[in-house]
Amino acid sequence: MPGIVSKTGHSVKRKRDTTEKRPSKRARSESSDDEDTQAEILLLENEIFESNSKKNYNNIAKLIQILNNDGDDADDSFLAAISLCRVFTKLIAAGELERKQGNSEKDAVVMRWLKERYAQYKEGLLGLLGQEGVGVPVLTLCMKLLKTEGQYLLNGQDYNFPVGFLTEIVQILLDAECDTAVREDFSRKWVEEYDDIRYYTFQIIAETLQDDDMQDMREGMLGSALDILTAVESVPESKDELEDFHVEAPKKKNHALYSLTQHKKRAQEAWLAVMKLQMNKEQRKTMLGLITDSIAPWFVKPELLMDFLTDSYNAGGSTSLLSLSGVFYLIQEKNLDYPSFYKKLYSLLDSGILHSKHRSRFFRLLDTFLASSHLPAVLVASFIKRLSRLTLNAPPGGIVAVVPWIYNLLKKHPTCTFMIHRETRTAEGKKILEDEGMDDPFDMEEEDPMETNAIESSLWEIALLQSHYHPNVATLAKIISEQFTKQSYNMEDFLDLAYGSLLETELGKDVKKAPIVEYEIPKKIFMKQDAESGFEDTLLVKLWEFK
Amino acid sequence: MPPSQLKRLKASLREQGIVGPQKSKKQKKQNAQNGVNNEKRVQRNVALTGIREQFNPFEVKTSARGPKFDVTSNKTISGRVTKGVKGRPGVTKGLGEENRRKTLLVEMQRRNKVGGILDKRFGENDPSMAPEDKMMERFTQEKLRRHKTSSAFDLEDDEEAGELTHMGQSLSLDGPNIQDDFDDEGLELSDAEDHPSDEERQRKRRRSGGSDDSGPEGSKDEEDRPERKKSKQEVMKELIAKSKMHKYERQAAKDDDEDLREELDKEMPNLHELLRGIAPRPAPAPLAAASGMNPDRAALLSGTDKIKFDKEYDLRLRQMAQDKRSAPTERTKTEDEKMEEEARKLQELEAKRLRRMQGAPESSDEEEEPAAAEEDEEEDDFGFGSGIKTRPTMAELGIDDEDDFIIDDDLVASGSELEPSDDEDSESENEADDGEDAEFLKGLLTEEEAKRPEFLTGANAPIQETPLPANNGVNGDLAYTFKCPESHEELLDVMKKVDILDFPLAIQRIRALYHPKLKSENKAKLGHFAVSLVDHISYLANQPKQSPFSILETIIRHIHSLAKTYPAEIANAFRRHLEEIHNSRALAPTPGDLVLLTAVGSIFPTSDHFHQVVTPAILTMTRYIGQKIPQELSDYAIGAYLSILCLQYQRLSKRYIPELVSFIQNTLCVLAPTKPTKISGDFPYHEPKTNIRIVGGTKATRKLSLSDCISTDRSEAQTEALKIAILDTTVQILDAAADTWTGKPAFVEVFEPTQKTLQHLATRNNRSKLHADVQAKITKVSQKLERLLKHAHLACRPLELHHHKPLAIKTSIPKFEDSYNPDKHYDPDRERAEASKLKAEHKRERKGAMRELRKDANFIARESLREKKERDAAYEKKYKRLVAEIQGEEGREAKEYEREKEWRKKGKK
Repeated sequence: MPGIVSKTGHSVKRKRDTTEKRPSKRARSESSDDEDTQAEILLLENEIFESNSKKNYNNIAKLIQILNNDGDDADDSFLAAISLCRVFTKLIAAGELERKQGNSEKDAVVMRWLKERYAQYKEGLLGLLGQEGVGVPVLTLCMKLLKTEGQYLLNGQDYNFPVGFLTEIVQILLDAECDTAVREDFSRKWVEEYDDIRYYTFQIIAETLQDDDMQDMREGMLGSALDILTAVESVPESKDELEDFHVEAPKKKNHALYSLTQHKKRAQEAWLAVMKLQMNKEQRKTMLGLITDSIAPWFVKPELLMDFLTDSYNAGGSTSLLSLSGVFYLIQEKNLDYPSFYKKLYSLLDSGILHSKHRSRFFRLLDTFLASSHLPAVLVASFIKRLSRLTLNAPPGGIVAVVPWIYNLLKKHPTCTFMIHRETRTAEGKKILEDEGMDDPFDMEEEDPMETNAIESSLWEIALLQSHYHPNVATLAKIISEQFTKQSYNMEDFLDLAYGSLLETELGKDVKKAPIVEYEIPKKIFMKQDAESGFEDTLLVKLWEFK
Repeated sequence: MPPSQLKRLKASLREQGIVGPQKSKKQKKQNAQNGVNNEKRVQRNVALTGIREQFNPFEVKTSARGPKFDVTSNKTISGRVTKGVKGRPGVTKGLGEENRRKTLLVEMQRRNKVGGILDKRFGENDPSMAPEDKMMERFTQEKLRRHKTSSAFDLEDDEEAGELTHMGQSLSLDGPNIQDDFDDEGLELSDAEDHPSDEERQRKRRRSGGSDDSGPEGSKDEEDRPERKKSKQEVMKELIAKSKMHKYERQAAKDDDEDLREELDKEMPNLHELLRGIAPRPAPAPLAAASGMNPDRAALLSGTDKIKFDKEYDLRLRQMAQDKRSAPTERTKTEDEKMEEEARKLQELEAKRLRRMQGAPESSDEEEEPAAAEEDEEEDDFGFGSGIKTRPTMAELGIDDEDDFIIDDDLVASGSELEPSDDEDSESENEADDGEDAEFLKGLLTEEEAKRPEFLTGANAPIQETPLPANNGVNGDLAYTFKCPESHEELLDVMKKVDILDFPLAIQRIRALYHPKLKSENKAKLGHFAVSLVDHISYLANQPKQSPFSILETIIRHIHSLAKTYPAEIANAFRRHLEEIHNSRALAPTPGDLVLLTAVGSIFPTSDHFHQVVTPAILTMTRYIGQKIPQELSDYAIGAYLSILCLQYQRLSKRYIPELVSFIQNTLCVLAPTKPTKISGDFPYHEPKTNIRIVGGTKATRKLSLSDCISTDRSEAQTEALKIAILDTTVQILDAAADTWTGKPAFVEVFEPTQKTLQHLATRNNRSKLHADVQAKITKVSQKLERLLKHAHLACRPLELHHHKPLAIKTSIPKFEDSYNPDKHYDPDRERAEASKLKAEHKRERKGAMRELRKDANFIARESLREKKERDAAYEKKYKRLVAEIQGEEGREAKEYEREKEWRKKGKK
């Protein structure tokens, strides 16, 4: 068999690798002992196939013993695992583990014995799987065995995916104590790559998480399940993409593995199972961040996401912010009716919004939500006024995002331009203003954007920002009082600014012309002015003590 | 309908006076006597030809009808006839024929027949030239021709051989065709080089033909022109000759002038004496000023005797010396005037600052000016000479003879050294620079000289100055010379031995030693030194052992004064520090950074709309107070310091800083003894992990200091004191902020929440735990805010931002062309228009050329036919003659024969 020949060649190479590597790791005194064990392993392995007879099969038991020998060297057990993998691959390929027509009683006994050994071996392997260090190569061995099993142990069927073995693997991976590197490797190399593995993994995850027996372990599994699920990024878009199979593909063309809806259904079930679990804030945020891009596309019925999303939306804070895009997705795609959506949206405009790191994301959505020109002007005015009120405490990056947004809205809703230009025409009105001044009619405490009286107010805040300390922000704020000649500002240009980027732009520029220097050299900077000099102390000197 | 041909003929005959009423015999007789008849006959003939032409339908070409659409053409407008005579084909044809006969025919006839030697010698046939001229000209011609020759092997170019002459006479046969070289017009047999090529000739002919087409006037012109016009060469020659003559004339006139002037110059001394007799200080003699020649030299040349000359020299010298003294350039200004001038200058600077604050773009010349002005200003600040003794306090500190930066003193004292500022506009920057340098040096040296005259010569000599205490360092052993440190490491190295209190003096000495005026490379050195000083202030402030702020202050002021000379270097040094803060410790500034930011605020104008150093600096500060979530008391202290600094930056421009308000609010809420039930205001509230609320029990309040900005372990009491101090400072910052931003549009919106927070602090629960002083302050600030808010409430008006002129709707009326000409192409694309113009011209030329060629061919064919006919006719004639001759002869012979025969017959008979 050419395949096997090439495999052995490969294994020989690997063998040499390991033997070569070893002495560097180990101390000299141990090495001779190690080499003995390894040579023994190789010898045992070779003996199994040396003669055509089955008399050396007992070596398998010895190898398994080495494998399970915990206290001993991990290298040895790993090497034993490798050689056992080779042995069982060959045996399975040769059909030794299957009942054959016309086999003698003796053969059946051998077969049964071999099966037992095989189970024993798998058990040992799975024990190694979750461990740190050896986990990843052991996973490779497992997957190789999985493939061999799927290929040869058909049990008389056309297609038989070794679900049992994969379930065991996945359950170990789902265990919170499992090494993250192994889990990552599994999701990246296998789940993401192979359609059949993904299909069955989803199925297994869903089953495991809903299994009542595992009730107590569920919470711990959540994180790892999330890890595996989130790693799957590419959602197949058509049937034709389903062609990468790890185990040989089923011959029947109408098998579930070829159906896109079946795939999606498995994924949907897995996700729903995850969502039903209690999760902490961070996990929820991670999921919300992924929802439009990698979760919702899996769903055959995105409506099923509704509960999860509305729960998150009602949670408040940044969770609400993040769930916005998901809710919007449902509203847009699935015609979800969210009662008092704008009221909820308005309530999101709290003191933290302009400081939040999700600011640009929120503004992109806000821009979409308020894009309609059919919204009542009163509502739009409330949003404008509230945001402009928030700019009074906002960093420059936030102000820079708000001002062009206000411009765009004012341009779209000309009724709101009363907020920047309102002439008092009546004589009595003028008199009242003259005598009593005025209060801001806007009610910041009001929660309903339709009731805030914002449209009666003026945007004094933006007028104040026209004298912002940062020259560019001040200039930008001036667009509100310029003539509105520009159709609209592209929000994208203003969203992703922060102190760091502003500073970088300022410091990145070269000083081309000599900067102007203050013409007057102050007599005192830190010290008090002399009494007779007639100069007033600076604020710093007044409020600070310099010793 | 026009009248019939006959009627028109009659009418025109009558008009011309050819037919008319019969004249009486007497009249006829009279006319005959006067010779009028003769005249009249000529006139009559002319008129008759005119009429004949007019009535010959083939003589004039008329267009059958006018232009198709009259309106699309404005030819009638420009005065040209739309319909009627377009041309005179007969006349033009005749002219063309004539032309061809003159050129083409002659060429044709000559072909393969005429060769010969041309006399191309210059002026050979010109009797007006002198023989030498002729020779000269010929020589130059020869040279020129040789020079022009492109290739030695050009077969076409065989003029090299030259002409064969003998005794200046051409060897050629004097034929009618051989003419002078320069008579181009008639020259037919030509060499391609000097004469118009065939092509050119054709074009010329065509041009004349073209002008013929235009009408009879043109043809008349042609006829009227003299046969031989001047060639280009001739014209040029004439021009050259003329200009030469003019030049010569000018030269002659100048010489005459010079002579005259010299004569006048000789008279000069007499004149001088005469003048001096009248006025002791005469104005400079205009004659002497104007003269190109020194009168003395002239006198010497003319041979005046030596003694007199010497005496004259002495006299002149004395006079010159007198002149200088007797003309004071400037009147000494009174104190008032000086003050006024200073005030004006300050006003000017303030106006410029205001412009910068508003962000008005500076024009380039304006930029030059402030630079110059500032450099002027520097002299003011650096009146090193005076003020030392008036400042004993400084002396005590050991920084006595540091450059006293006392501005007001200097404004008065050193003003006299200033150049008047009203000629600032005219003086170039260079001048200002020079002047400034000189002043700077002078100031430095005078100061040093006052104490140690040998400063520059014997720097190492130990010199004791007793009158000034401690002027040689605290320990009295401060060196006088230093190596100029060019990096911070070098600076540290140099300053190792220097006591910290002597530092300013050391800087002063380095600056004097390496003044740019003393050596050219000093400028760069001092620049590096200035940069290292910038590094040094942050280094000093970062030292665990705090150095006195008076020293830091002095160093900053030194940097400031250096910054006037090295603005770019120092700005870059500051920016480098800011970048370092930004990259490595944006939210954890060191005391050094704080001092650095303070220095930025004092060295650079913080009120500018944009400034290369100040803008990043304030961003760095607001980044801290905006982004830092304070966890420890030291974080709050740093925030307080930066807030004060921010407000100080904005003391003139009064710009709004949102982060500052949030910080104040947050600090007040966090430090308040009890947490406010409702956070008023829209700032993000951050409570630190450890509780830092004031628990009370402090005895006194104190001011914050930089040591509070470092996080260390403090005892309980210290912590409480620090808390109270921070709260106290924050309340005062709030007070200052309210002062700064009164009158701003959203004052109410900004300060109402802070007012509520203050009120919370004033509640009974909180009051009890606060120190009485702080309580009083809170109450004061709260009351003040109350007042300001009320005022702002009264002053609040709805925004009216858009009192703009309404925008005009865009029009799409097509552009209307006045005096539109349909024949012109109004192509907006310039290149395309030009291309089409060229194309049209090319087409026209091509058509013309083809027509001419065709006509030429016709002409040649006609002529050759005619020749052939002539030849044939001549042959026929000859043949006939011969035949006739022969026949005649034969006839005679026949007759003879007949006669003979007859005779024989007779004889026989």
